[in-house]
Amino acid sequence: MPGTYIPLNYLPVLIILIVATLVGLLPLLLGIILRPKRYYPLKLTPYESGNPPVGEPQSKFSVRFYIIAMLFVVFDVEAVFLYPWAVAYDRIGLYGFIEMIIFIFILLIGYIYVWEKKALEWE
Amino acid sequence: MNIGITAIKVVIVISVTMLHVAYVVYFERKVIGHMQARLGPMRVGPHGLLQPIADGIKLFFKEDIIPSGADKPIFYIAPVIGVIAVLASLAVIPLWEGFSIADLNIGVLYILALSSVGAYSVILAGWASNSKYSFLGGLRSSAQVISYEIALGLSLVGIMMLSGSANLSDIVRAQSDYPFVLIQPLAFFVFLVSMIAETNRAPFDLPEAESELVAGYFTEYSGMRFGLFFMAEYAAMFIMSAVATVCFLGGWNGPDFWVFSYVPKIAWFLIKVYALIFFYFWIRATLPRYRYDQLMGLGWKLFIPLALVNIGVTGLVKESSNPIVIKL
Amino acid sequence: MELNKLDLFSIRLIAPEIILISIALILILLDLVIKRKETIAFVGVLGTLTAAYVNYKLCAMGWTGSTLLGMFAFDGYANFFKLIFYINIILTIFISLRYMVLEEASFGEYYSLILFATSGMMFMASAVDLIVLYVGLELMALSTYILVGITRRQVRSNEAALKYFFLGAFSSAFLLYGISLTYGLTGTTNLKEIASALQNLNLLENPILFLGMILVIAAFGFKIALVPFHMWAPDAYEGAPTSITSFMSIGPKAAAFAALGRVLFDAFGPMHVQWSSILIPLSVITMAAGNIIAIAQTNIKRMLAYSSIAHAGYALLGIIAGTHGGLSSMMNYMAIYAFMNIGAFAVVIMLRSKGFRGEELTDYEGLAKSHPAASALMLIFMFSLTGIPPTAGFIAKFYIFMEAINAGYTPLVIIAVIFSAISAFFYLRVVMYMYMKEPKAHVTLSTSPAIFLTIAVTAAVTLILGLFPSLLVELAKMSIAGF
Repeated sequence: MPGTYIPLNYLPVLIILIVATLVGLLPLLLGIILRPKRYYPLKLTPYESGNPPVGEPQSKFSVRFYIIAMLFVVFDVEAVFLYPWAVAYDRIGLYGFIEMIIFIFILLIGYIYVWEKKALEWE
Repeated sequence: MNIGITAIKVVIVISVTMLHVAYVVYFERKVIGHMQARLGPMRVGPHGLLQPIADGIKLFFKEDIIPSGADKPIFYIAPVIGVIAVLASLAVIPLWEGFSIADLNIGVLYILALSSVGAYSVILAGWASNSKYSFLGGLRSSAQVISYEIALGLSLVGIMMLSGSANLSDIVRAQSDYPFVLIQPLAFFVFLVSMIAETNRAPFDLPEAESELVAGYFTEYSGMRFGLFFMAEYAAMFIMSAVATVCFLGGWNGPDFWVFSYVPKIAWFLIKVYALIFFYFWIRATLPRYRYDQLMGLGWKLFIPLALVNIGVTGLVKESSNPIVIKL
Repeated sequence: MELNKLDLFSIRLIAPEIILISIALILILLDLVIKRKETIAFVGVLGTLTAAYVNYKLCAMGWTGSTLLGMFAFDGYANFFKLIFYINIILTIFISLRYMVLEEASFGEYYSLILFATSGMMFMASAVDLIVLYVGLELMALSTYILVGITRRQVRSNEAALKYFFLGAFSSAFLLYGISLTYGLTGTTNLKEIASALQNLNLLENPILFLGMILVIAAFGFKIALVPFHMWAPDAYEGAPTSITSFMSIGPKAAAFAALGRVLFDAFGPMHVQWSSILIPLSVITMAAGNIIAIAQTNIKRMLAYSSIAHAGYALLGIIAGTHGGLSSMMNYMAIYAFMNIGAFAVVIMLRSKGFRGEELTDYEGLAKSHPAASALMLIFMFSLTGIPPTAGFIAKFYIFMEAINAGYTPLVIIAVIFSAISAFFYLRVVMYMYMKEPKAHVTLSTSPAIFLTIAVTAAVTLILGLFPSLLVELAKMSIAGF
């Protein structure tokens, strides 16, 4: 029954997530008691080489980062497709190999395109 | 499955890892020191052995400063996310035959997924700090991490093709005769470089290039929060070395003759991991930092094609051993 | 081995799609080395002709059946729509050549994207599995979003692409929700198996399944611009480069109609009562809104956008009828609409020249004095869109109304005829402007042999099919025979 399935394999993952969260939070909570709290406005200004901060920090940034993010999505999805294929490689044989070659070939055309359009260059 | 035993295992593995992290820092300072003809830490305890403990205690007593204008909730949780992502990766690492906290059949995917989650802590910290250095550092770092993640992921595909499994224990078992590094040298090279870039270590430590970005995404962090980032970085080195050991160097397998057969399995595993961690420090002491455009170019134009070529060659070699049958 | 079912033999049935996608990929690479865009366009046309020829050969050998593990059908129904798509590609490329240079957006990717979008449509027309249908729809939609925004220096083009993208993304989500509800209840995504599951599992009255069906209809409603899912259409049509407006008023619409027809007839066939009760009001408000709002438009592309909404309303009657005759009359309608609409847009494109947009209705004032030939052709297309007898538009409407009456939807047809009469107002207003007003400014036509050819072909077909309708009607009936 799909409704009653409990992925027991993953129970340790849940436990380690809980413990890891505690490891992350406990030192911070402990620190609340121990650490000094002497704040004044000048101490709280963001660091900018000792000068008063100028302008908005989260302003426009290079469009390259967006391109990298988009390319990442394309290539990472490709990698994700490759994993199950790789694991099942012994069983799917030549058909699997040819199909994956076609898949990678199509991606390769996109890769050449991106390269030629200078999307991989900085400046 | 007994929840209690699992919980104890988890606590032991995590605390041992934390201790390792502390002493890996000491190890690094000593290694780098000697490579630069210095002695490294010497004051606290014999040969400075208590230095990591002193550093840890110090962090508890440091003031926790949140810059004005920071996005507080995100600023708070960013380092915690980093620590969780890294420590949770420990779950699937097989330390010796039959010992891994969670024996998942998608171990490789799990590791890669969590390393992607780790990228969030960096970008969130950079975004929330309300500081230009942090913001740029966070952007650079996340772009770098996601770029090298592709090469990292693709370099493991060959391993999965050879072992027919994404379970890390199965991958180690498949290497009982010889480690995969012998037949996947290209993939090992790609993995080795990508793992350094993935953990933002020198010579790819652009996000925290102190000469231009102060400290990158954690410029505004202080006290224990800074400590968490520090911990996450060193624990990530440990995880990445462990994955490299498991996938390429044969994990817990060791030579099985003469006195070597008396060496416990875990020792082989740890020796390999520490050799890789030493490699990290060695590289750091030897090579100058890359420029950012060189770094991204290297990832996109060299390592991704190399990894793809490796997959193609592996597939071809593996396929050529099978008789070709075309049913029409 | 399980995968051997996917043997090389049945792969032949998707040869046209494979050819088209390969050509599109080659175009991407060619664009990097060849600077003359005409060459790229030529290769694109050549590839389309090859695909069409292979498709024809496959038909001529009498092959029908399914491939890709029964997810892709190669039958007359799909091939009829593929014919429309091939014509659509070639004529769109013909009218784009000169025009895209004028818009300063002459990219090689443009032609490649047209081929990608069309291969997506072909997969939609052939899909007998909801997953293949969805993948085809996304391939078509994503390519079309980029095409709409390809004149990237124009603000209105960007705006159009963004609006189209957002609403298109919503419609994809609707479709996926609908598919997942259907899959959850029937346990299959294969259309025929859904139909048998409906009977066997006694799901005909199931409200959740009904909801799933509504979501699927809504998703296709977005693509064919049915009111109330039409909001994107006027802006996208106006902002897109005119050649793309023409392309997307035919291709995606025909593909969505093809898929809708197959899904409703094959999968939800037993639920005809339910889905026709949804489609009837949609059709009525679509005809009403399309025709009435079109009257208020002063921009000819916007006017044609509302006109295309209205035409979707008429064509829906063929599906509502629920008979094979109705379906074949819908196919007829899409084919005829393709010719007359491309023709009309080709004339609109001719008016565009350097520094002159030529999209306002007033730009057509007195066109008959300066350019009698172009005006005469525009007259034919406008008559045909209205549905005035010697043209093909009349035939299209006549058959669809007849089939609807045969199926017992006489009141609906009366409403459609009334709105058809209303539509004469705004179509014939263009004719009135051309013939009965004095020219204000001098309009130069930007002509090229390709555009002449396009207009000549579309006008000829519009007239020939008006005089000898059986040519197309018989083809549509033949195509649907094995459906």
